[in-house]
Amino acid sequence: MKDNTIMKVENLSKLYQMGEVEVAAIKKVDIEIYNGEFVVILGPSGSGKSTLLNILGGMDSPTEGNVYMDGENIVSFNDKKLTGYRRDKIGFVFQFYNLMGTLTARENVELATEICKDPLNVDEVLDTVGLEDRKDHFPSQLSGGEQQRVAIARAVAKNADLLLCDEPTGALDFTTGIKILALLKEINQKYNKTVVIITHNVPIGAMADRVIKMRSGEIIDIKINEEPINPERIEW
Amino acid sequence: MKKLDKRLLRSIENSKGQFISITIMVVVALTIYVSFSMVSDKLYNSIYHYYEITNFADIFVDSSRLPKSAVDDLLSIEGVKAAQGRIIFDVPLRVEDPKEKVNVRVISVSDEDEMINGLYTIAGQELEKGKKQAAVLQQFYIGRDMKQEDIIRPYIGGVEYELEVISEVGSPEYIYLMENEQTLIPDAKGFGVIYVPEDFAEAASGYRGSYNSIVIDVDKEYENKLSLVADDIEDSLRRYGVQSVVIRDDQLSHTLMMDEVRSLEVSSTAITVLFLMVAGIIISIMLSRIVKKDRIGIGVLKGLGYTNLQILSHYAKYSIAIGLVGSLIGIVLSIPVSISLTNLYIQYLNVPLFNTSIDPAYFLYGIILSVIFCLVAGLLGAKSVLKISPADAMRPETPKAGKRIFLERFSEFWKKLSFSWKMVLRNISRTKRRAFFLVLGIALTYAVSMMPMYMSTIWTHLFDFQYGEFQKMDYAIDFSKPMDIDSLFEVKKLADIDLIEPKVELPFELSNGWKKKSLSVIAVNSDTSMYDFTDLNGQEVFLPKRGIVLSQITADILDVDIGDTISIRSFLPQIDEKQIEVKAIVKQYLGANAYMDIELMYKIIEDKGVVTGALIKSDAQIVEDLKDVKNIGSVQSAQDMQDTLLEYMNTIIASMGIMMIFGGVLGFAIVYNITIVSISERIMEFSSLRILGFEKKQIFRLIWRENALMTIFGIILGIPLGYIMTLAIVTAVSTEMFVIPAIITPSIYIFSGVATILFVVIAQLATYRKITNLNFIDALKTRIS
Repeated sequence: MKDNTIMKVENLSKLYQMGEVEVAAIKKVDIEIYNGEFVVILGPSGSGKSTLLNILGGMDSPTEGNVYMDGENIVSFNDKKLTGYRRDKIGFVFQFYNLMGTLTARENVELATEICKDPLNVDEVLDTVGLEDRKDHFPSQLSGGEQQRVAIARAVAKNADLLLCDEPTGALDFTTGIKILALLKEINQKYNKTVVIITHNVPIGAMADRVIKMRSGEIIDIKINEEPINPERIEW
Repeated sequence: MKKLDKRLLRSIENSKGQFISITIMVVVALTIYVSFSMVSDKLYNSIYHYYEITNFADIFVDSSRLPKSAVDDLLSIEGVKAAQGRIIFDVPLRVEDPKEKVNVRVISVSDEDEMINGLYTIAGQELEKGKKQAAVLQQFYIGRDMKQEDIIRPYIGGVEYELEVISEVGSPEYIYLMENEQTLIPDAKGFGVIYVPEDFAEAASGYRGSYNSIVIDVDKEYENKLSLVADDIEDSLRRYGVQSVVIRDDQLSHTLMMDEVRSLEVSSTAITVLFLMVAGIIISIMLSRIVKKDRIGIGVLKGLGYTNLQILSHYAKYSIAIGLVGSLIGIVLSIPVSISLTNLYIQYLNVPLFNTSIDPAYFLYGIILSVIFCLVAGLLGAKSVLKISPADAMRPETPKAGKRIFLERFSEFWKKLSFSWKMVLRNISRTKRRAFFLVLGIALTYAVSMMPMYMSTIWTHLFDFQYGEFQKMDYAIDFSKPMDIDSLFEVKKLADIDLIEPKVELPFELSNGWKKKSLSVIAVNSDTSMYDFTDLNGQEVFLPKRGIVLSQITADILDVDIGDTISIRSFLPQIDEKQIEVKAIVKQYLGANAYMDIELMYKIIEDKGVVTGALIKSDAQIVEDLKDVKNIGSVQSAQDMQDTLLEYMNTIIASMGIMMIFGGVLGFAIVYNITIVSISERIMEFSSLRILGFEKKQIFRLIWRENALMTIFGIILGIPLGYIMTLAIVTAVSTEMFVIPAIITPSIYIFSGVATILFVVIAQLATYRKITNLNFIDALKTRIS
């Protein structure tokens, strides 16, 4: 384990029972995530990347294997410790933003920070994501991109070490998608947060420090980008 | 404020219709619970406090004549603490309008210091020995609009006396003022009680040196063994002839009061439990739907690190909010309701110390009760929160298993159905549990609506039967003492009477093994045209030459059937106990009686040619004509009974109206909430239909058809349910004094159905807005929870 390893995944498998047959969503996966890096996990749908991200985020449990974070194996956590893990260590960004419709942008962020030990200043984070003037709007009054900004602010404001993003641009148009990626990069640098993005969108890999490719539940390639490009230059 | 609580408040605002309708159920439950409990507690305590300060008797003895020394003899009986003799007799009271018939019960008051059944003076002075004065029972005093120093004129033994009203009093013996067990409804204008000095009562009645009634106070440790003491008393007085020995538990006013307290408690519990249960079920259905709808939101909350407990309590707070808001409003409303209920009682009852009292303990119990009910319902509804895993929640929900339903096996029938009917039927069969609850709810609404309709018709029926079908006489006269049968001719001469028949009505104790009942046995001519006896199947019954006929309450109390032999013991001296066969059991709703042929009565009492009263048929107002007849104790007229009932009906109709509103609230809340839940669950489905070109009306029709079908099933189930509930009420309300027949006419069934449909339609219209406001495009693309 390198000194700056934030998370280490060992021999991780997840099997689903589909009627009579067992289907493996992920098979014996080993990866390490390093502090402060920007990782993109690439794979087509059904490659198991979402399952992997859910397990890393403490939202799902593996059939086999270990996930170490800060020296503790989260796979062995009971429900209570896992909840604490999600609360304090992880910031999760969902593909469909999943905001609370009856709470304003600010309140949606506060919903997350209220239960954290050491959250960031909510207004500052909202300013960072570019929602200075939209803080008191309800999700239905926001565009998709704005909603995703709120979702990112929500994950960031928790001041967790690891930001896990599930297809953050999946529901957005190209221009908005690029802006969100730039925002994530900015957060990666400004707040020194480790960011893991999963996507099926290959060009996004170009902006990562490291690209992990998955297919059929297995890691088929890990590539280090010596010179990650600026998100504004990505095209798809 | 915590953001989750903010979200809660906003979601309450978004579903205010549901919130309000469920809260109203809690409000009804709590209003009834708190006000009925407070009133019944206060009533019970006031009665017992009243008993204490007036030293209410434990045992009452009636006799035809007892020497004064017999009273002192009773003191040697174990358990008897004190005994006082008195003279009681019923006589007509002369009033301004000669056509009006007013009876009073005259009760003598001795000048002893320690009175048993002491008078509670509300206004005025105490009676003075040697003066012609009367203390008048409050109800009668008010009913006849009396003032102190008024002169009243009782007609005693052929003489009209003038008594000065010196006070308005209360008596524990006449809290509920009724002439006898058959009258049932108090008539404060037509019957009253006056108290007179003992020396006046002795002189006027001719009971000089003797009494005809004794009231007895027993030692504290014997209060639970009153029957044993009563038996000893009866033995001791047997040689003088005793008409009845009644313990406090059987005393007319006391029994009615305890029945009243009990019925308040029963209705308080029944209504509270019914409404809280239904509110609970709706809460749990609604919350389980909200949780389902919020699946993704719950996943997000879990993803953010919220604990199960935090999320569960977020949803449970919704139900707690209903419980709290409902109970607070309920408590506030319970105060005016208690006041009106108390005033209603004060109008009919005479408990001088009874008033509205606010008991905050019940506020607390009420809040605890409703919050616990709502909380449990909320947790049951929201418990699936625990099962949602954050990762699963993110995935789209798998579509509901759409499979062929049972009805589709009848392919010929199924093929003929339109597409939308097929959808309706499939949907019902998919959400069976909810459909079942909806049917049950509508059935409950039907049953609850049936109750007031039944109750308001049954009173009329009860009286029509008693005074129309069963008793055919227009007047019943009771003499103040047994008379020769020839006196009937005298009566007939004086008034315009079509028909007069003799009557011997005497107290007896009937027993079957250890089961006993003291009651009036009424003996009339075997071919009497004053009574139409019918058995329980409606077959005509004639009084047999040998054997006795029992009213249905009597038969129930003694637990006897036709053909059984019972013992019959007269309270007259020197008359032996006799065995007699029960020849028939007749329909009679009011009062426990027994009937026999007058000739048989003469054999039993070993006397002939006496009568205690007369039964009369006449269209004329005979009261005035008979006013000078000696020894007439009281005259009862069927018409007066009916008139009293009509007055009383207003009160009944008012309270039945309230019951009806309850039924409506119940039906509305159930149908409205279930429909809203159903709409919210199928919002995707309806949106798709809208996009396919369905009009709003067509979609509304889908829901309408579903509920119409459920209403039909609900009413079908409601008919037996209502019948059972009516039977239960009938059993609960029937006492040793009256039975309520479970006669439910077809019109009751029809009107209850109409009322139910009306409630459903109102609830249905209230949901129409939800459909018209449905933004189907948004619904299809939204992922906001």
